[in-house]
Amino acid sequence: MEYLNHNLDNLRQIAPDLVALLRTCSGGVLAMVPSREGSPSARYHDQWVHSAYDPKKEARSWAEQQLKEWKHEEVAVVLGVGLLYHVEALAHSRPPDARMVVVVPDPSVLKDALGARPLGSWINSVQWVTGTAEDVAAQLEARSSPLRFLTYGPAARFHADFHQRLEASLRRMMADKTGGRLHVAVVGPIYGGSLPIARSVVSALNELGHRVSWLDHHVHQESYEAFGSYRDERHRLMLQSRFADVLSLSTMAHLAEDPPDLVLAIAQAPMTLAVLQHLRKKKFVTAMWFVENYRHLTYWQQLAAGYDYWFVIQQGDCHAALKRAGAAHVHYLPMAADPAVHRPMTLTQTEQQDYGADVSFVGAGYANRRSLLPQWLSSEWTMKLWGNEWDGTQALSGVLQRNGARIDTETCMKVFNATAVNLNLHSYSGAGMDPQPDFVNPRTFELAACGAFQLVDARTLLPDLFTSDEVVSFRRPDDVPQLIRTWLTDPEGRRGYAEASRRRVLRDHTYRHRVQELLATVGLAQPDRIGAILRGDRLTTGLKERAASVPELLPLLNRFPAGQRVELKDLAADIRARASGRQLAREELLVLMLDSYRAETKDLV
Amino acid sequence: MGKRALLIQLARLGDLVQTIPAVTALKEAHADWMLDLLCPAHLQDIGRILPGISTVVGWDGTEWSRRARRAEKEFRPEYVVEADADIRAVTQEPYDYACVLNQHPRAILAGALLARESMGAIIGRPLDQTLSPWAAYVRAIARDRRANRIHLADAFCGMCGVHPPRDVPPIPVRSVPLPHDLDPIGQSSGPWIGLLVGAGAPERLIPVTVWAEVIAGCLGALHGSRVVLLGSGEEQGRAGWIQTALSSSLVGRVWDTTGRLSLTELAQTLTRCRVVIGADTGPLHLAAAVGTQVIGWYCARARVHETGPYGQSHWVWQAEGVDGRAGETIQPTRWPIEETIALLTNQPVASVPNWSLWNSQRDRWGAYYVQAGQEPVAPLEREQIWNDLHPTAV
Repeated sequence: MEYLNHNLDNLRQIAPDLVALLRTCSGGVLAMVPSREGSPSARYHDQWVHSAYDPKKEARSWAEQQLKEWKHEEVAVVLGVGLLYHVEALAHSRPPDARMVVVVPDPSVLKDALGARPLGSWINSVQWVTGTAEDVAAQLEARSSPLRFLTYGPAARFHADFHQRLEASLRRMMADKTGGRLHVAVVGPIYGGSLPIARSVVSALNELGHRVSWLDHHVHQESYEAFGSYRDERHRLMLQSRFADVLSLSTMAHLAEDPPDLVLAIAQAPMTLAVLQHLRKKKFVTAMWFVENYRHLTYWQQLAAGYDYWFVIQQGDCHAALKRAGAAHVHYLPMAADPAVHRPMTLTQTEQQDYGADVSFVGAGYANRRSLLPQWLSSEWTMKLWGNEWDGTQALSGVLQRNGARIDTETCMKVFNATAVNLNLHSYSGAGMDPQPDFVNPRTFELAACGAFQLVDARTLLPDLFTSDEVVSFRRPDDVPQLIRTWLTDPEGRRGYAEASRRRVLRDHTYRHRVQELLATVGLAQPDRIGAILRGDRLTTGLKERAASVPELLPLLNRFPAGQRVELKDLAADIRARASGRQLAREELLVLMLDSYRAETKDLV
Repeated sequence: MGKRALLIQLARLGDLVQTIPAVTALKEAHADWMLDLLCPAHLQDIGRILPGISTVVGWDGTEWSRRARRAEKEFRPEYVVEADADIRAVTQEPYDYACVLNQHPRAILAGALLARESMGAIIGRPLDQTLSPWAAYVRAIARDRRANRIHLADAFCGMCGVHPPRDVPPIPVRSVPLPHDLDPIGQSSGPWIGLLVGAGAPERLIPVTVWAEVIAGCLGALHGSRVVLLGSGEEQGRAGWIQTALSSSLVGRVWDTTGRLSLTELAQTLTRCRVVIGADTGPLHLAAAVGTQVIGWYCARARVHETGPYGQSHWVWQAEGVDGRAGETIQPTRWPIEETIALLTNQPVASVPNWSLWNSQRDRWGAYYVQAGQEPVAPLEREQIWNDLHPTAV
């Protein structure tokens, strides 16, 4: 009690509201246990929060590690309270004037910490924030300084939900406020379902004002397929694999010639682990949006350690599996729609006849669809089946359109718009419904964006994306015929759902939203690089202010418009472009010298 | 009042050592000049033993790289200020001349920052990219992989606007104490043979079993001889394997210095050897510079015409492909072991398939290599090259 009162008195100087809150809360959530070294350690729900041997030594070691990452101009945000040994160690070892904030999810834990041991005056040199995760996020955001999150795992793990909500709030805030212009290289696949997604990502990045280098490997599809024409499967696989390796190297050469701030690969992008490792060595930041079911396509296992950031459409086990395979950062980023592509259409009468039906399904002939769709045929409604890989399904031959040819996106949109009830059954390689129905496919978002009515198989992640007033889902195949019957006779009800789902997509689920979320995630993790650019810290205006003490640089900076981002390579390129026939100034030579070393670090080939 | 000139040599050990004739020639031509040297910081100690240099300044490439990485993350005016301070630490007042001996942009930029006038690798302004005749000649030799009639070290003289010096005596190595247990090296009777364990690139490494055979051959053929294993800390493992491959009766005559000598101690040790054998061109150049005869084994990309040690009476075995040219992919299957022993013992040397043997010569036009058994090149041919490339007098 003596320690608590003393520490509270001390803390009152800078945080009177917090002290008042602490006086009223119960405390008693940490179990104090003396460490071997003598100072108190603690357990929370039978798990150690600090070392049982020497908590101070452990804290010093943690602080040393954090100091390697923490830049002077960043505000350090400590996650994990415990008995504050780690905060104390960091406060003592930080550079003078470096600012620290401690996030307090549960004031009772802090109260226990204040009662456990005497704390020095350092507690007045850090700031304490508490409240809901959203409140804390708003307080942190208000600082308008780059934030560096320093997580003390043994204590932070007990409030993982709070920290996730905090991070999500900050991401949203950052996504809303971003003003800077990144250079993003988007690496697309050679072919397949992720190709249109890559295109939509490129469009979204452009819309947001970023500079995009689109490495479109679709142009190599014919060659790739030519290598697949050999009879012997070993030859096919070997040649196609080597071809993908060459494309990976060509990506590397492209990146070397025009280094981006972020390399964003979309699933199936031909990138080898060796190239990814080389990119990391050369300080490129890489991310992968894996828009695939990780249980079906497993090549992520070979690449997990290669990308700096993974974005996946699944949660839980998917994240754990990627981390076990070596991924450092894994984030959930669901699918989306592109309103410029997936849109309501006014069809001619002929188009309505060609593409329309009471019930339609668009997609490839996966095993579960082959077994379930015949059950949903009925004389009560007309049905059309579009897509490829339906060979040998006699029961569906009467409804299969265009002899099972692959259909393009535009046709797909017409079908969605012309159909009364669009069936959306997620793919699964076994018979029946997907037994692990977690992720939500792109079709769900695309149908919604078209303002089309759909019946979708229930997914565990669907309720977070659409409410039951926006999308109708089914859990059992046997329920589908009755649902079709019900909704076919209720056009007003269908329209209500379709409009609500479209509004939801436009509000929350476009590629623009996803790209903002993705960039904000990387920006939060890299406050000194991607984060700084997104915040607009690198614009000419800010640089000129900083250059007040080096007026010789102003002529160089004045050549760039105020709203333009200026980097070392931009300055060097501008000097080179104007070098012909004139004597270079000393500052120009110095910039070129710095740039020659920069170019060396990015020299990939 | 004499001029102040700065010699800029930012490449590796071998290039720095090959700068010696240029320093000597500049001093011969401009006795009143004050000549300073800018070289990589880790080679400063070697720079200091170069005769004729007033001050050696280290170029801290690591710090520049670090600063460039920070500037790449976020460009800040402070980095330019820091860079300027580094340049001013070299000299407050610009030099009258910079002799820039590398074609790398940063050496050229350093010249522009540190001196009023630059000469050497390029002509014109720093970004003009126009090679001087001498730099173009050196590049053509490397690109076309053809025979060279002018040694790189003499081409450096040409870049500095001077002819090769009349004489290039061995550089005097200041006596430095070796580690106590290594001090007996070269002090007892019998020839001491230096053997360079490593190489400048992995593809140029000689197999440890081959080196073990060379050592056994030397110790057998040269009465009372000792072998000194030379190399960096990274080469200690190879030195260990070499000794493991030797019979136990010979191990006592092998002295392993790998990873234990500074560059000045290495130079000192090289002076104590009668001959140095190896594939690592940097230390081979140093050995030649301190006056020790060398026998180089050049394979893969190493070419006698580009990096043969400077001076007279050195030998180089050159691995060749079927077309008689050296190349990156050439990996010999037979090695000139007995033939190297024959060179050491002054016995007739047999030819070795896919290897050629070259011997260094020197005349008033500098150093060059001649294939064993062939006549020295007529001075006229080399004089013609000098006349064509026409060194610009300063």
